Amino acid sequence: MTPTTSNKDAIITCRNVSIAYGRQEVIHDVSLEIPRGSFLPFVGPNGAGKTTLLRAILGLIRPRRGEIITPFGTSPPGYVPQHRTIDPLYPVSVRQIAAMGLYPKLGWWRRGPKKLRLTVQKALEEFGLGDHANKIFSELSGGMKQKAMLARAFVSGADVFIMDEPTSQLDEKSEKEVFAHLLRLNRDEGKTVLMAVHGMHEVLELPARICLVEHGRVRLAETSDVFPARPASPGNTANDNSVKGGR
Amino acid sequence: MWENMQTIFEMFPEAVIAGAVIGAICAMLGVFVILKRVVFIGIALSEVAACGIAAAIMCHIHPFLGAAALTLATVIVLSYPFESNRLPRDAVLGIIFVLASAASILLVANSGFGLQDVKALLYGDLILTSDTDLTLILAIFIPVGVYLLSFLRPTLYTFLDREAARVLGLRVVLWELLYFFALGLTVSAASKVAGALLVFCYLVVAPSTALLLCRKLWGVLVISVVAAVAATMGGLYVSFSRDLPTNQTIAATACVVLAAAVVVSAACRVLLLAMHVVEKR
Repeated sequence: MTPTTSNKDAIITCRNVSIAYGRQEVIHDVSLEIPRGSFLPFVGPNGAGKTTLLRAILGLIRPRRGEIITPFGTSPPGYVPQHRTIDPLYPVSVRQIAAMGLYPKLGWWRRGPKKLRLTVQKALEEFGLGDHANKIFSELSGGMKQKAMLARAFVSGADVFIMDEPTSQLDEKSEKEVFAHLLRLNRDEGKTVLMAVHGMHEVLELPARICLVEHGRVRLAETSDVFPARPASPGNTANDNSVKGGR
Repeated sequence: MWENMQTIFEMFPEAVIAGAVIGAICAMLGVFVILKRVVFIGIALSEVAACGIAAAIMCHIHPFLGAAALTLATVIVLSYPFESNRLPRDAVLGIIFVLASAASILLVANSGFGLQDVKALLYGDLILTSDTDLTLILAIFIPVGVYLLSFLRPTLYTFLDREAARVLGLRVVLWELLYFFALGLTVSAASKVAGALLVFCYLVVAPSTALLLCRKLWGVLVISVVAAVAATMGGLYVSFSRDLPTNQTIAATACVVLAAAVVVSAACRVLLLAMHVVEKR
């Protein structure tokens, strides 16, 4: 893969990235430049490498070859994992889960100022969890747990959001609300959003440009080229920043 | 009853203070042992500490030094991410437990001590806590308690969701290592007087009691400490009144407290269910 032309406004840069689990290479020589303020869904079937690529961008997996440049050392992204990683044994409330997103602003032991606590409450209310803030996380339904994870990601006020199938547990209405929220954050506040999706119905809700992930290779495409059934909807517009790269 | 307790306080103040401090701090650390589902680490580290004590006796050095050196070395070995390999962490803990149990007895087998002496040396007796033991326990346990309460947030986040904690910028390896170092130090310092059984009891039984009774982290920590201290005092009283072995009596008392918690927890659930049914009607 030939590297793309240099984009000075790129917030995330992947250069010739290959990732392997043991001997099996799952991502092959991917180069991508993602400008600040992009909205980029990573679309592909199960096992294509979407999660692996996103985890590598997050710094959770070290590439076998190539490099990934991100600003996350100083400003962590808002992150929603694919699977709920919280053991139901933990006696933590929904508020505590959401407040975890504020950790970079709080430090080791300090109690957050009232303003930050209000931020947590606001984030929970945004996802319809305002009345459930003091409930034990493990007692929530699957969808509500996912909403709490989304609140944890949004409460941080991060510049970049990386989400791995963030609506997989949500009903259609909640899914639309989450997508609308993400699009609003991207359009109005210039937030960068990367998210893995694998269902066509999800893609149809999202902006026109997508990143197709197949067999560990990446290709940028227009949704209408991949899914001709996509209706031209004014509701799903996002910042039209030019993502470059492929393979 | 109060007269007996007063006599115990007057005759064995070191044992009472040591029991309360060991119980309280081990119970707090134990909450995370249970939540992280590494219960076996408690008994494995206790046996390693006993093995370290045996080695120290043979080398004529202070038992704590032997226990601490071996326990901390084990903690470093255990910090290796075994989950990613073919051998699960539990299996490694089991192997360490077997090795340490056998080695501790073998080390002192030809020392000339009788079986009872060996048992007392390796597995301690709280009632025999000396001034020096108490000083060592306070010197180790108070800083560990301060560490845990001061850094509860990063410790919780590291254990609660390791991946998200890493993304948020927490040095999860450091926080994990720090916690297990604290655990190793407390087990080492406690083992000489409390022994493997009692240390394991404080690490597992008291936090289990708390988790049955409460679903809020701070509540769990407080109840865990209260359960451990109450079991210690109750156990000391029964042991003194009935002339029973101290450590085992405290451990049995902790189990009685746990059984009471099971009953209370079940009763609460039945009550809640009944209220729900009545509300529906």
